[in-house]
Amino acid sequence: MSHRIMLVDDDARIRTSLRLAFEDEGYEVVDAASAEEAVDRFAEQPSDVVLLDLMLPGSDGFECCRELRRMSTVPIIMVTARTDTHDVVAGLEAGADDYVTKPFVAKELAARIRALLRRSKFAEDVPEVLRFGDVEVAPEEGTVRRDGQEVHCTRTEFRLLCELAASPGKVISRESLLDRVWGYDYFGDGRLVDVHVRRLRTKVEADPANPSHILTVRGMGYKLAP
Amino acid sequence: MGSRFSHLGLRSRVTLAFALGALILSASMGAITYLAARQVIIQQRKTSALHQAYVNASLVRSALRSPTPRIPELLDSLDTLPGSRSVLERRGQWFATSISIGKQALPRLLRAGVVGGSAATQSFLLSNTPELAVGIPVPSVDAAYFEVFSFGSVARTLRVLALALAGAALVTTIAGAVIGRWLSGRALRPLGTVSKAAVAIAGGRLDTRLPTDDSDLEPMARSFNHMADALVERIAREARFTSDVSHELRSPLTTLNTSLEVLETHSGELSSRASQALALIATELRRFGRMVTDLLEMSRVDSGAAELSTEEVAVGELVVHLATSSGAGVPAVLDPAVADRRVRVDKRRMERVAANLVDNAAQYAGGVTRFAAEHSAGRVRLVVADRGPGVAEEDRSRIFERFYRGTLSGRRGETQGSGLGLSLVAEHVKMHGGRVFVEARDGENRFVVELPLADEPVRAANDNADNAPSGREVPRR
Repeated sequence: MSHRIMLVDDDARIRTSLRLAFEDEGYEVVDAASAEEAVDRFAEQPSDVVLLDLMLPGSDGFECCRELRRMSTVPIIMVTARTDTHDVVAGLEAGADDYVTKPFVAKELAARIRALLRRSKFAEDVPEVLRFGDVEVAPEEGTVRRDGQEVHCTRTEFRLLCELAASPGKVISRESLLDRVWGYDYFGDGRLVDVHVRRLRTKVEADPANPSHILTVRGMGYKLAP
Repeated sequence: MGSRFSHLGLRSRVTLAFALGALILSASMGAITYLAARQVIIQQRKTSALHQAYVNASLVRSALRSPTPRIPELLDSLDTLPGSRSVLERRGQWFATSISIGKQALPRLLRAGVVGGSAATQSFLLSNTPELAVGIPVPSVDAAYFEVFSFGSVARTLRVLALALAGAALVTTIAGAVIGRWLSGRALRPLGTVSKAAVAIAGGRLDTRLPTDDSDLEPMARSFNHMADALVERIAREARFTSDVSHELRSPLTTLNTSLEVLETHSGELSSRASQALALIATELRRFGRMVTDLLEMSRVDSGAAELSTEEVAVGELVVHLATSSGAGVPAVLDPAVADRRVRVDKRRMERVAANLVDNAAQYAGGVTRFAAEHSAGRVRLVVADRGPGVAEEDRSRIFERFYRGTLSGRRGETQGSGLGLSLVAEHVKMHGGRVFVEARDGENRFVVELPLADEPVRAANDNADNAPSGREVPRR
């Protein structure tokens, strides 16, 4: 079955060229020229992944990202003009899972999207339920509960939590988290991990500013307190 | 004073002017005081001397009228001022109260005049002491009375006065200099504030402003603040412009790249001539894309908008990855001394550094022959080596300048780069607190990127201070 990808960009030429390239890669493509159109199209026909340009007319890409995130846990890849602006962190904080920088290579992007969609395969020996403190993670069901209450996580957050919870007490470096969660070969952007950990903490920690479960190990990575 | 003292600082000149003013003022006041005091004292002393001499002369006259005058007793009985001595001449005979003064000691002209019948005074020096001799003829008894007054004490008084006045002038001059120095310091203090503010702005604290509460300095403070505002505005405008241009250029490039990929996917459907044209487009488009990226990157470095997003990574992993991502075509060679050490880098910038060095080797030297990490005195060296014609000695320092192509500049054609690649390498490495240089060794041309180790103890870093790059602060997120 082919995955459906939604392209949100105000530049019609980019939409057309990406549509051609992604259709060549076997995706079904839906596109939208504005944030409002994107939200409407998504509501009537949810896609499997969204490629979202942050520089949109009207209500901007960040708002669109937040709106889509309210509706769904769909993986969102944002498109930025630069890598070193606050845009990257702001976009990730608005709920994006990953980002690409223009000009990007559609083939590489398609491969990354495949990795993003493929990832819900876990190692065979993962127990049915992972527990730490008052948090319960059920990898097979894809649910997280805190104090018995279900917590809504995006797929990337959930996957990150599972990776941390699978080896409690062990420090996992940013690089291996990037590799295991995002499917990057080592050279991903550590900010992806940092912002997702921050987002996760607001969901599973009683006091996100003073985390008791997901701990930062300076210069090394993160670990889950058993 | 301008030309002669212009090499002095403003403060020194003000101090000098104050001291000179104080000196002229106090010296002239002192001189006037001295002359007036001298005039008054000497006049007074002269008047009292004359008065006493006339009193004594009339005493001598009445005493000599007696039939048997005893002249020595008479002279001793005269009322004299301290230090005054009497001399009496009667019918060619000379009498004196003091052995130090007699006929011979009196000035001859005075002696002759008075004996001849006219009263006179004369100042003279007797064994270096100023004296005033007063001579009064007493014709009724056929005598002449002389009295000699010592002005030694007056001279001493005047000397003390002169000394005191000179001392006062000296003190006033010094005080003038001190006040001048202090006042100029006070007056120049706002300049110090301005200079500090300018340094702060140059150092990147663009929100630095001067207070405008001093009404005298307000115009200067206002124009300074205005300048700072204009600067901030300009930087913001440039950053905005770069951002806009960046977006405007990147969007069509994305479309071009993506369409090219589509064409390449379907290249089987094209004739061989069309495929050839497509291959040309592909090569040129990639080069164009790289050029645009380099230019945008450079303009961001220039406008100060480039930020480092650093992470600590293991040298071994970094270099192995860089060898692959840059397309060096050779495996990374790791010095075991640094493979497990850590460096703090912006991964993306290091990718560009490696890619640009590899591109450079591909363009000018037939490709990379060795891609290695080496250890050097507490720092790590990323070495990208080739066996091409090398870089001429005189080009080695300039090759990292913008658009510099050195002796290769004549060789234009298929392998022409943007001319920005190596200068971007230098900028990126500088931002990391490292340095980059090119050297020829063992038949290799080595482009060396030297970076500080993140886990190196501070002591070792200091030991190699002479190796350290210029003291530019490394921006950290």
